[in-house]
Amino acid sequence: MRLSHGKKIFFQCLLLYAGIVMICYGVWRGEAGTVLSKAIKICLECVGIG
Amino acid sequence: MGKKFSGFSRLLARFRGWIQAAATLLTNIHLPNFSKGTLYRGDAKTVCVPGLNCYSCPAATGACPIGSLQAVIGSSKFSFSYYIVGILILFGVLLGRFICGFLCPFGWFQELLHKIPVKKFSTRKLKPLTYLKYVILLVMVILLPALAVNDVGMGDPFFCKYLCPQGVLEGAIPLSIANSGIREALGDLFAWKFFVLVAVVILSMLFYRPFCKWLCPLGAIYALMNKVSLCQMKVDKHKCVSCGKCAKACKMDVDVTKTPNHTECIRCGMCIRACPTKAVGYRYGFGTGKDKAAADAPQKIQLTKEQEEQP
Amino acid sequence: MKKFLMTVLTLVLVCSLTLASTAWAEVDTTMTAEEAAAKYLELKDQENAILAENAALWEKVFLAMDKDKAMISVATGENYGKFLLDTIESAKDQFTEDELTLITGEAEKIQTIEDDVEALLAVYPNAKQDAIDGNTGTMSVPADASMVVSTDSSMEVSADAAGVTVTMDDTAEKFPAFEGMDLDGNAVNSSELFAANAVTVVNFWFTTCSPCVGELSELDAMNKELAEKGGALIGINAFTLDGDADAIAEAKAVLEKKGATYQNVYFASDSEAGLFTENIFAYPTTYVVDRNGNLVGDPIVGAITGENQAKALQELIDQALAADIAK
Repeated sequence: MRLSHGKKIFFQCLLLYAGIVMICYGVWRGEAGTVLSKAIKICLECVGIG
Repeated sequence: MGKKFSGFSRLLARFRGWIQAAATLLTNIHLPNFSKGTLYRGDAKTVCVPGLNCYSCPAATGACPIGSLQAVIGSSKFSFSYYIVGILILFGVLLGRFICGFLCPFGWFQELLHKIPVKKFSTRKLKPLTYLKYVILLVMVILLPALAVNDVGMGDPFFCKYLCPQGVLEGAIPLSIANSGIREALGDLFAWKFFVLVAVVILSMLFYRPFCKWLCPLGAIYALMNKVSLCQMKVDKHKCVSCGKCAKACKMDVDVTKTPNHTECIRCGMCIRACPTKAVGYRYGFGTGKDKAAADAPQKIQLTKEQEEQP
Repeated sequence: MKKFLMTVLTLVLVCSLTLASTAWAEVDTTMTAEEAAAKYLELKDQENAILAENAALWEKVFLAMDKDKAMISVATGENYGKFLLDTIESAKDQFTEDELTLITGEAEKIQTIEDDVEALLAVYPNAKQDAIDGNTGTMSVPADASMVVSTDSSMEVSADAAGVTVTMDDTAEKFPAFEGMDLDGNAVNSSELFAANAVTVVNFWFTTCSPCVGELSELDAMNKELAEKGGALIGINAFTLDGDADAIAEAKAVLEKKGATYQNVYFASDSEAGLFTENIFAYPTTYVVDRNGNLVGDPIVGAITGENQAKALQELIDQALAADIAK
């Protein structure tokens, strides 16, 4: 799958925007808090206890 | 691509080890926490680091993207994470697998292990295994946490829980050394994950970056993004003499002249350093970077090939 | 045209990224953690000095304090200086005019200091904990521990956390005393709670912690089992501290779904028990407490459904029960 020059620019811009929009939407609906609450406590599953 | 840029590419590739060390340190900046057996708990933990780095590591600066992705997908409130996927897309477009080669602490760890002088094996024949990481991404990181939920709608982070060796290396081992309560809590699950870590350690000595190639779901995401990443490999067809040294030097089994933006390319720059004519370099920017001269490149390659064969 | 478009797009991208990063990185890094903790102690020392200067007048204020209101004030994280001012206002007929001016001025000073403390803690959330752990290099005693003003046995109020009493007979490590509420809004006093049970198992959990939620039914079964032996089990959900209404509703929903009927309590996050909770990094963690409020053995990390954990917990419970019978 080789993208032509123009198409590649289009996809790159599209993805950058999609990324920013998704981050904003995710923060807006409260996902960031979920991440923080998980990240500041020891994740027992991650270290192999829970 | 001017001379200057190819010089920069070579410089970057040459000091990669130092950049990896610095990235690992920045990703785990709270070093005193190792002796205290506690975690850093500031707001920076809301943001993901680019590499695979357990957020249960006492020194961790930010959140692990794969851990966070599973945590949000597995939470009862959400079944998909726009926030984390958005961050991953940004990382992917801005850097792609450059992150694997330069910024990921676990990638660096495997590379250091590979420096241990034991017999080395090629992974060229094991190519089908590289698709395993996409399966792991889809099944363990996305599907199982979303679908295998308990009665309150919470799913387990299957990759973290059953596979991720980084959690044991950075989380369980230092924490259990510093904290007796955690030490006593280690059970069968830890034994299994410790076994995975040992297996990855041994494989890393024999093969180059086995975890990155075959298992890493984060690598899988960045691999897909490599195609559209702003950070690219660029081969100057005018300078290329088709000697094949770049492909031989590549430990990720990529031929940069044929597929400069291959999913497996981690932008480590070994091909850049191997190229005798300085034809290979990094390119950062939108599009494919096709200059006008490149249009008639195929002919010239033919020419140089013939020239090479003459003597 | 394409180039122009690209430039614009890139600029917008850079701008949005910079904006995002400034929003995330508002943390002032000019102080080290040690300095922040020392600063915290300094502020608390100032408060103590103010309170010590006019001890007799403050005694009057504390006597006039409404105990329930004190608890609500602490539970909602209200500025302690503001609370003092309110108390003084409600009891102003008990003071002479000079006294009133003096004590109001002093309370305002405390209010300002408390604002500073809050601002400090917003940037250095660990400062308080570090101060209590003694990570400051100085030997001063944190205000929380030294600030118990005892007027009569039923009403003990500390500067920072209403109702937190510090007992001095520290032969065994105490579970930090607290006055809080259960999720149904009933007042809970830790000394009464512990004294009523031969053994109290205290389970720390939070709502989005999968291993914690996974063990709720087992904990409920254990509570019933303990009840027959004169013991009890309580839960402390870390999200519900300070009485956050949404968090309480969510916690109750999960408890109900899991069929857990045992008591779940909360208290102020800046109380001694709140700090104790903040210091717990691994969830779930389960403590065993005896009738005198002493901790029995080491905390159990991880779900009690695990083999090691179940065994360790049972041993601690048996130990506490045996000790209680021996007395």
